[in-house]
Amino acid sequence: MNENLFASFTTPMMMGVPIVVLIIIFPSILFPSPNRLINNRLATVQQWLIQLVSKHMLSIHNYKGQTWALMLMSLILFIGSTNLLGLLPHSFTPTTQLSMNLGMAIPLWAGTVVMGFRHKTKASLAHFLPQGTPLPLIPMLVIIETISLFIQPVALAVRLTANITAGHLLIHLIGGATLVLMNINPVTALITFIILILLTILELAVALIQAYVFTLLVSLYLHDNT
Amino acid sequence: MGHKRLNPARSVSHPPFHLWGCGESDSPESEATRIPLSPTQVRSATPASVWTPAEQKPSLGAAQGSLNSQREPAQQRPLRLEAPSRSAPSKGSTSCQRGRSGRARLHGDRSERRARGPSLDLSSGTRGKESLVRVNGTQSLLRGPCLTMLSRVVCSAAAAAAPRLKNAALLGPGVLQATRIFHTGQPSLAPLPPLPEHGGKVRLGLIPEEFFQFLYPKTGVTGPYVLGTGLILYFLSKEIYVITAETFSAISVIGLLVYVVKKYGASIGEFADKLNEQKIAQLEEVKQASIKQIQDAIDTEKSQQALVQKRHYLFDVQRNNIAMALELTYRERLHRVHREVKNRLDYHISVQNMMRRKEQDHMINWVEKHVVQSISAQQEKETIAKCIADLKLLAKKAQAQPVL
Repeated sequence: MNENLFASFTTPMMMGVPIVVLIIIFPSILFPSPNRLINNRLATVQQWLIQLVSKHMLSIHNYKGQTWALMLMSLILFIGSTNLLGLLPHSFTPTTQLSMNLGMAIPLWAGTVVMGFRHKTKASLAHFLPQGTPLPLIPMLVIIETISLFIQPVALAVRLTANITAGHLLIHLIGGATLVLMNINPVTALITFIILILLTILELAVALIQAYVFTLLVSLYLHDNT
Repeated sequence: MGHKRLNPARSVSHPPFHLWGCGESDSPESEATRIPLSPTQVRSATPASVWTPAEQKPSLGAAQGSLNSQREPAQQRPLRLEAPSRSAPSKGSTSCQRGRSGRARLHGDRSERRARGPSLDLSSGTRGKESLVRVNGTQSLLRGPCLTMLSRVVCSAAAAAAPRLKNAALLGPGVLQATRIFHTGQPSLAPLPPLPEHGGKVRLGLIPEEFFQFLYPKTGVTGPYVLGTGLILYFLSKEIYVITAETFSAISVIGLLVYVVKKYGASIGEFADKLNEQKIAQLEEVKQASIKQIQDAIDTEKSQQALVQKRHYLFDVQRNNIAMALELTYRERLHRVHREVKNRLDYHISVQNMMRRKEQDHMINWVEKHVVQSISAQQEKETIAKCIADLKLLAKKAQAQPVL
């Protein structure tokens, strides 16, 4: 193992030039915009997928919430594609960086909260107190609810970062174990390799699920506040 | 130039620009609210702004009310030829006087102007491109259109020339940028070239077929493969590519990917094709339905036309029916008349018959009565005795002659 475990998580540079922006922008070219009625297969499948996901995700919202459709769809597409691309060897995943996830989570969460306070002030404030709490518990509960509200963006960002980073690390470690075991005991290496394959399948799922969860939670916050 | 918009309710034709104000009543408050224009103010108004009514407002003060909105253009006319004197307002006069304070009046007072009748003033101003057209007098309502026609020719030349000159002087090179038009090209969206049926051919899913064709003349069929193998071994042996943990994750990911694509690729492709075909089928259905609808309409129309051709049968039948009905009615009435007349005549006949019968009976009765009366008693006795004698005689005869 020439490189340490953190090598894959550093800002990617190419001959001293940070290309992280290019890497973040890269997934967008994988989604061609359909400019005809009948497109090629890639565009057709993507179109169908986006229609399916948006229909399910936006069905719970009212009109005000549905104005966020573009935001939510692009969010899920970006996170999903970035996570999936990160599984390829020697690739950099922007979503492993807490900075980027915070940059996604905080504005979106803050947007929903501000919107809620603007349009439904009383209802937004009422969220701080669940129904049916006994009277002596109210002050404590308000504090707890406030804390839970402010933890939401942090939780969103950290959840995504931790999951993806943990997945990458695991793959790295088990790959390393396979590599080392190849010389000692190839059979064990094979078992480890099978574990690696299973893990990869899991990571594929996790990549998609995390994207979904992120978007779903934002959508939930939106639903509460519209 | 000195035109004012006619009150639309009163003007016969709508000149597009202003006549010299007929049809508005002078009111003292409107007089008062007019701002006296200084010569500099007047001169600063550009010919272009003087020409168009909408742009004249900014050059006047904010004190102008909406009441004056129609008079503002008139006030702006650079009437440096008029004396800056105010004439007394004439309430409700139909005169077209609009010369006000700050403006020089070319002609005298209103009465004089009225006497002179309509006049047309064409004068070129100091700015060289202005022309001043004023139509005064009460008759201008009628002459308005023709005069405005003439003035339009004059003023349009001035208005056309003046802004360009002025702007050209001010803007200079900026004009070139301002007049450049964007988006003159054809929109690139239509018509798009058709999509190819299949993608480019590749070998091993990555390397296009053209590469193999390119190497074929020099290295034959196995050339590219040997090249690839050699490159890989070179990278490995020289440790340009290092086998790390990443290698195994690469193997697993790429292996998984290849497996999924090989297994489900075709079906996903078919699914995509099915989606497209559904879309096309939907539209095709719409098209077919539309064609069918139109065809049905055509057929209906044709059948309607054919029916119309045969419509005369219907009319004939109707005509015949009506004729028959008329005939029937006629005959019925004739019959009724006949019956009535016969009734009348029968009545007369029966009356006659009855009279005759009555007369007969009466006569017979009278005769009988008189005859009976005339038979005396003696005659009666004699007659009866004679009858008895005859009967006896007959009886004797009968006895004498037995049954034969």
